Amino acid sequence: MYKYFISICFLFVGLNGFSQEQQQEIKKTDTIVYKSKYGIRLGIDISKPILTQLSSTYSGLEIVADYRISKRFYAAAEIGFEEETSAEDFTNSTVKGNYIRLGFNFNAYENWLDMNNEILLGYRYGFSLFDQTLNSYTPNVTNLENGIYFPVNAITVPQTVTGLNAHWSEFIIGIKVETFNNFFVGFNVSYKVLMSVKDPENFKSLYAPGFNRIFETNTGFGFNYTLSYLIPFRKK
Amino acid sequence: MKKTILFIFLITIIISACEKDDFCIQNPVTPNLVLRFYDNTNRETIKTAQRLSVWSDGKDTLAIYTSVNTDSIAIPLNTLSEETIYNLKINNIDGKIANNKIATFTIKYTTQEDYVSRSCGYRILFNNVNLSVDSNSWVIDFTPVTLTTVDNQNAAHVQIFH
Repeated sequence: MYKYFISICFLFVGLNGFSQEQQQEIKKTDTIVYKSKYGIRLGIDISKPILTQLSSTYSGLEIVADYRISKRFYAAAEIGFEEETSAEDFTNSTVKGNYIRLGFNFNAYENWLDMNNEILLGYRYGFSLFDQTLNSYTPNVTNLENGIYFPVNAITVPQTVTGLNAHWSEFIIGIKVETFNNFFVGFNVSYKVLMSVKDPENFKSLYAPGFNRIFETNTGFGFNYTLSYLIPFRKK
Repeated sequence: MKKTILFIFLITIIISACEKDDFCIQNPVTPNLVLRFYDNTNRETIKTAQRLSVWSDGKDTLAIYTSVNTDSIAIPLNTLSEETIYNLKINNIDGKIANNKIATFTIKYTTQEDYVSRSCGYRILFNNVNLSVDSNSWVIDFTPVTLTTVDNQNAAHVQIFH
């Protein structure tokens, strides 16, 4: 029976061509316009709660939101909280604080019909306020030639500096897909450039909430894995 | 199945992001005190200290300065104390113990912690350094007696004439 399937298909080849010819004769103009939804989209970055569970040195939460302004532009914002411990060879410090990121996304994806997916390019201005505690440190007296001739003690009296802040610019590239009605799954990566950071005296801000690890070049990387829900206001 | 692989991939990225990616390449971070040996009669000329051994009171001889012929040494200072005493032994005749000559340097200073970088941590700077040598030794003279700060070891800190 199966070997006749392809043959059966060939049977309808002529028929198909015939039906198309008929449609051309009618010359009906397409008047259907697919409206897309405008509204506010709220969600969370689920990577942060997962990391909080997996890592003993990290905890954080981030709420994301965006609002559609025009066909391709979205105003976007993220607010969050992060606490991270950086264990280095000679220092151990904890950063704790809040942050906000404001900016916009540009949707570079041409949607078919009533799809609502995005390939987004975005810019954010980020600002965070944090405290940094130097939990412990060991003066670095290592010496390749002599080794450690005189011993050193680790200083374990925590020193907290409050009221630190950081400002940065962030460039984002990512995707957002509507998986169910009004429910979106998104992933994006970001490259961050620090504009200014307030360092503690005789120490350095090694991490800034929302910015992640501050590299020597004052740049950073981040990623978001978001689940969000669209509350539609109107269709256009 | 495909999503599980993606998830594992994502976790790998997250965890690998925590791996160390910078190392302290400065050596040393905390500066040593650099002494250089000159001829006492012709003070511009470097004069090698022969069969030189260096040790601090109550400690082993420094491994790299055990009976060596050298014209300069870089010695660490004790960061937990405000004073380090070093013994410098030379023997410019032969290897016999009877011909050993010892000079005892007392170095007094204050310490200061200075942050360097994420990978190198803190270093110790030595300020208001004051040197003295026991009067009856092979070291005839040295200069300078006081140093404002020891924060690098690009050049010799102290010239020793013998």
